[in-house]
Amino acid sequence: MSKLLEVKGLKTHFHMHGYTVRAVDGVDFELAEGETLGIVGESGCGKSQTSMSIMRLVPDPPGKIEAGEVLFRGTDLLNLSNPDMRRIRGNNISMIFQEPMTSLNPVYSVGYQISEVLMLHRDMTKADALKESARLLGLVGMSDPEERVNEYPFQLSGGLRQRAMIAMAMACEPDVMIADEPTTALDVTIQAQILRLMASLKERTGTSIMFITHDLAVIASFSDRVMVMYAGVVVEQASVREIFKKPLHPYTQGLLGSIPVLGEVKRNPDGSRRLLNAIPGSLPDHRNFPTGCRFAPRCTKVMARCWEAEPALVHIEEGHQVRCFLYSDEVQETPAYQEVKHAQSRMAKRRAELKNKQTSEVESSRE
Amino acid sequence: MNDTLLKVVGLKKVFPVKASAFSTKTLALRAVDGVDLELKRGETLGVVGESGCGKTTVGRCLLRLYEPDAGRVYLDPEDDIVRQVTELDEEGAALAEELEELENQPTKTGADKQRLRSLGQTIAQKKHQADDLAKDSDLLTMDRHKLKDRRRRIQMVFQDPWASLNPHMVVKDLIGEGPKEYGTHVGRDLDRWVMELLEKVGLPPQAANRYPHEFSGGQRQRIGIARALALTPSLIVCDEPVSALDVSIQAQILNLLISLQDDFDLTFLFIAHDLSVVQYISDRVAVMYLGKVVETAVSSQLYANPRHPYTRSLLAAVPVADPDHPNDLKPPEGDVPSPVNPPSGCTFHPRCPHKIDICERVIPVLGKDQDGHVIACHNPPNG
Repeated sequence: MSKLLEVKGLKTHFHMHGYTVRAVDGVDFELAEGETLGIVGESGCGKSQTSMSIMRLVPDPPGKIEAGEVLFRGTDLLNLSNPDMRRIRGNNISMIFQEPMTSLNPVYSVGYQISEVLMLHRDMTKADALKESARLLGLVGMSDPEERVNEYPFQLSGGLRQRAMIAMAMACEPDVMIADEPTTALDVTIQAQILRLMASLKERTGTSIMFITHDLAVIASFSDRVMVMYAGVVVEQASVREIFKKPLHPYTQGLLGSIPVLGEVKRNPDGSRRLLNAIPGSLPDHRNFPTGCRFAPRCTKVMARCWEAEPALVHIEEGHQVRCFLYSDEVQETPAYQEVKHAQSRMAKRRAELKNKQTSEVESSRE
Repeated sequence: MNDTLLKVVGLKKVFPVKASAFSTKTLALRAVDGVDLELKRGETLGVVGESGCGKTTVGRCLLRLYEPDAGRVYLDPEDDIVRQVTELDEEGAALAEELEELENQPTKTGADKQRLRSLGQTIAQKKHQADDLAKDSDLLTMDRHKLKDRRRRIQMVFQDPWASLNPHMVVKDLIGEGPKEYGTHVGRDLDRWVMELLEKVGLPPQAANRYPHEFSGGQRQRIGIARALALTPSLIVCDEPVSALDVSIQAQILNLLISLQDDFDLTFLFIAHDLSVVQYISDRVAVMYLGKVVETAVSSQLYANPRHPYTRSLLAAVPVADPDHPNDLKPPEGDVPSPVNPPSGCTFHPRCPHKIDICERVIPVLGKDQDGHVIACHNPPNG
């Protein structure tokens, strides 16, 4: 499998009045050809902003991509001109958004919105594009697509709208499809229909998918590899089996302990109710992430050094990366950390100087 | 006192909806269409279903936040009274059917007209009798004063912690409003009670003088739970209490609810769309589809041995957080039909893989079965 998309050191910050939100703070990952990468995390962990940065859809101002590279087949998307980027969006990389109602334009028919993509990227005539839109709507499992083409988003149910979004995203058979919580607003039965549809489309076209969600069960059933994010950084990355069977990072372990699993026993042997292994505390304030490890305030295995320095994301085994001092002593060399280090060494030096001075003074007084 | 805390019989709620944006014609949306439920003391009854199945409306009808159109909601029911009232109601319903039939006749003879009048009178009489019998325990017919007294025994935790707390009130007043109204705690006693509640739900005492906007979603939900506990109710209706929360916070709130249930001797009606959450917290589960309960069972049994085709397909659509699990999701085909114009007969028949002829014509009723596992289905799949 070759690398299709490579993200290196991506940083997206939002400069608000008086404070800065470091929404994405140094994210590295790769997406291989034909792979499904699941990105999981809670609200505010930066999973959506990562995908928006890849598409260069971050609202600027206040948002700004501060650093990093997004290499798509070797070209850095962050350096492309706007017209060049438009040629990529929808054509090579497309996106499915969470809320199909707010991301479809209410005043245009569904068919028009799909054919727009085709007219722009495939130079189709309007008539041809509409015909193709109908074919695509049929492909995503809508009944009588010829008539649906002329319907407006409000005439469709949530599941059908999401199908229309998928048809739009698939229109140009993109290389990468980013699905940002595509099933969160839907009922389980509709969610299952959409997941099946995406799986079958993937099989047919070989598209790579970045699947962003907070639902671990969906991730388990759908992805090849999983990336867990917390407070703007990747804390663990591994194959789906490794993540669920051998989670290393305390946060991943906590997340897995937090979800009730269907059919599990609910009583302890002594008859008392079994509680979930919830993660204590609440999500960190996005204005002010903790220094050191960002998960330290909620971590059950926290150590003294977790408060001082941020651990680096290191390879533990083949394809399994984790950011935790339990497994490696490597430190993330952030500017803040370097500053602290610098200050510490300066202070140590000063202390040594003072001590020398004192001893020499003592010695001189003795003399 | 028997061990049934709440008994719901034939609950119905119809919302009028406009036929289209500019139409003056209204259609009837049958949100809840004849629901029977029974809650035992100290148990948790889960209600699941897809959006639009009427589960939230049931919860709100119990507290009369929506005024139900028909049915009875007994708090601390006495079997005798319930039986008598149900008999009278059934007789009344049978007569009402006859009345309707007569009214729809194109030509009416003199005898018919007389019969119509007497029928109308008997129905009114029966209803009056039934109401009279039920007025001590039925929340829907009792008078204002009695209702107010009973209301403190049923409280609610709402879904959206951002919308359900008054932003102008500090936490202390939000939680203390109920006790103040009922005079259960006053003055310094009230302050102490609020502090105790804050501690119970895991909030610091400093929270008392802050406003809701200063808290995160999980903390607000804790405030909502403390408010529901303030009058030491017997029953708390939890309407999707965790669906707006993050996974790690959701687990904290579920744990909190479970531990409070033991501390305060609570009965929960737990409404949610997430099957794994409902299965986890509930002793028994009722599955709803288009305003009707289609299956009720002990939660472990419902998962191990679902019997209604809808429950089966619902369970088959839930992904399991285990990569080794064969996650070949088999959802039912199509969308949930509109409750404005539900399918004839069994409302699930257009999506049902086990459909037989009778399903299109006759509405199935909840049968009686062993171990309290009941379904409403004409042709249950084997197993």
